[in-house]
Amino acid sequence: MSAAMTQTTAASPVKRRFDGKRIALTCVLAFGAFTMIVPFLWMILTSVKGPGELIEFPPTFWPKEWAWSNYAEALDAAPFATYFRNSFIIATGHTIITLIFGAMAGYALARIPFRGRELVFLGFIAMLMIPTYTKIVPQFLIVKFMPLFGGNDILGQGGSGWLNTWWALLIPGGLSPFAIFLFRQFYLSLPRELEEAARIDGLGEFRIWGQVYTPLIKPALATVALLTFQDSWNNFLWPLLVTTRDDLRVIQVGLAVFRQEETTQWAYLMAGSTLATIPMVLLFLVAQRYFIQGFTNAGIK
Amino acid sequence: MTTKPSGTVAGSEPATARRWRSRRRPSASRKLRRAGWLMVAPALGHSILWIAIPVLATLVLSFTDYRVISAPRWVGLDNYIEIWNDAVFRKATWNTIVYTFFTVPVSMAVAVVIAVLLNQRIVGRTLYRAAFFLPHVTATVAIAMVWLWMYNPQYGLLNGLLSIVGLPGQVWLGNPDWALWSVIIVGIWQGIGIKMLIYLAALQNIDPNLYEAASIDGASKIQQFFSVTLPMLKPATFFVFVVSIIGAFQVFDQIYVLTDGGPANATTMMTYEVYRSAFQNFRMGMACAQSVVLFAFLIVLTVVNRRLTGGDDT
Repeated sequence: MSAAMTQTTAASPVKRRFDGKRIALTCVLAFGAFTMIVPFLWMILTSVKGPGELIEFPPTFWPKEWAWSNYAEALDAAPFATYFRNSFIIATGHTIITLIFGAMAGYALARIPFRGRELVFLGFIAMLMIPTYTKIVPQFLIVKFMPLFGGNDILGQGGSGWLNTWWALLIPGGLSPFAIFLFRQFYLSLPRELEEAARIDGLGEFRIWGQVYTPLIKPALATVALLTFQDSWNNFLWPLLVTTRDDLRVIQVGLAVFRQEETTQWAYLMAGSTLATIPMVLLFLVAQRYFIQGFTNAGIK
Repeated sequence: MTTKPSGTVAGSEPATARRWRSRRRPSASRKLRRAGWLMVAPALGHSILWIAIPVLATLVLSFTDYRVISAPRWVGLDNYIEIWNDAVFRKATWNTIVYTFFTVPVSMAVAVVIAVLLNQRIVGRTLYRAAFFLPHVTATVAIAMVWLWMYNPQYGLLNGLLSIVGLPGQVWLGNPDWALWSVIIVGIWQGIGIKMLIYLAALQNIDPNLYEAASIDGASKIQQFFSVTLPMLKPATFFVFVVSIIGAFQVFDQIYVLTDGGPANATTMMTYEVYRSAFQNFRMGMACAQSVVLFAFLIVLTVVNRRLTGGDDT
């Protein structure tokens, strides 16, 4: 009886205090989240402001008139449509290469006992830890001296190799040890009996990979595909180094170049930035679950 | 018709089957081995060509003078000696260290608080999480472009806000005293999301009994945070710290867009010097030596970090 009484008397103040806390908590989180979102809002709002409103000070937050024509004019001022298409092709290409060759290697490392497997795996782990800047200069040189391409002879001399080609944009960044590592972890989590049964049935390894195991890791495929696509879409340094032709530029490079040429066209720049970010924002919002799963997987192990 | 051949096969089975099996077994495992190598070969070849060889080449080229138009010339330690005496590279190293040791701890501290707040049943949890994570999934170049516009001294949002409060505007990126801090703010803003996400995942693995035990002992929520949450997050903290330092040391995109390393080298970074040496001055040997120095920093920091936090359980 006394226990019940203390419970009831204790309950209401706890609940009241809880509510006050809850409001404070919501305020803190809402403020934090708003700070995170403001640059995106500002980008979109700027991209539809007229030229007069852009140079008002202090700036207006909400546009007085929505100048959607900025987008059409930005597309005229620089070939953003081409940049956008190029980025899309390359990100898709990288994703396909990763899903085929990365998954294949991950499967072999997880499920096929071949001699030297441990060594190969360790090699991938070691290569996973190499920072970009420790390999970027020779990567560029390999591209430039790629034999028999771009006017190069068999020794890689005399021409420009893969510079300013789709090859340079698609192949070197097509596969990362990180994707292979993720795939290996996913394939390892599946039961062993499947492969034994399939092998007794006389299925070849490629068919076991493609028809037995891979259909079971579809969510993992989605995760790796999204991470790869995002990484590729956002990549800047590599495409900056290997392309100078306007028709091969990706959107991030195109944006940076446009900024150097047109330093004051803020509405167009923000329109271009919107084009460069919106696909990833939408992709993230639609497939949030897979993104989060991927990033936490990558984080924990 | 069909039974007859099968009958004869069945009759001669024992001898042939034994021979067949004894030959087939090793061939099956060989097939398996070959399949394994075949499946790993494209990825392995790709990684060797685009990672292993370049790393070794970086090391070798760092001892040469190589300007692409003529063959590399062995110069021993000359590049490293020049780096040691180079005031700009020293400035870049200092800037990189300042950038890293402000962005990483600050964004980690914010991230852990946000993660703890989000690790409760609250309305709109997914929405908040998405908001904090959004800067991480979007391209740094495009995002930096927006910050460039917000930092604009004449028409920018930040000076606009300051003027509403009655404070004088700043030149932000154009002022050598402010530029690095302006870049650091962008780094913190963009770095919170991924750290928060890793902390959130780690928080979900903490045994709730620990909190119960702590509250029975009379620990307040704040005390619980310091005596239960933070110690339990130690492995995650180690992991986040190492990965974030490696990331922060390689900051490049926002520097390229926001400041171009200026004003007066106030925001140049080690990566930016590598870029300048290789792709503006075409001194490939020097760029390689600089990137070796960068790599050495990362290795030392990771090892020291491991020693200090004892985070070998990740």
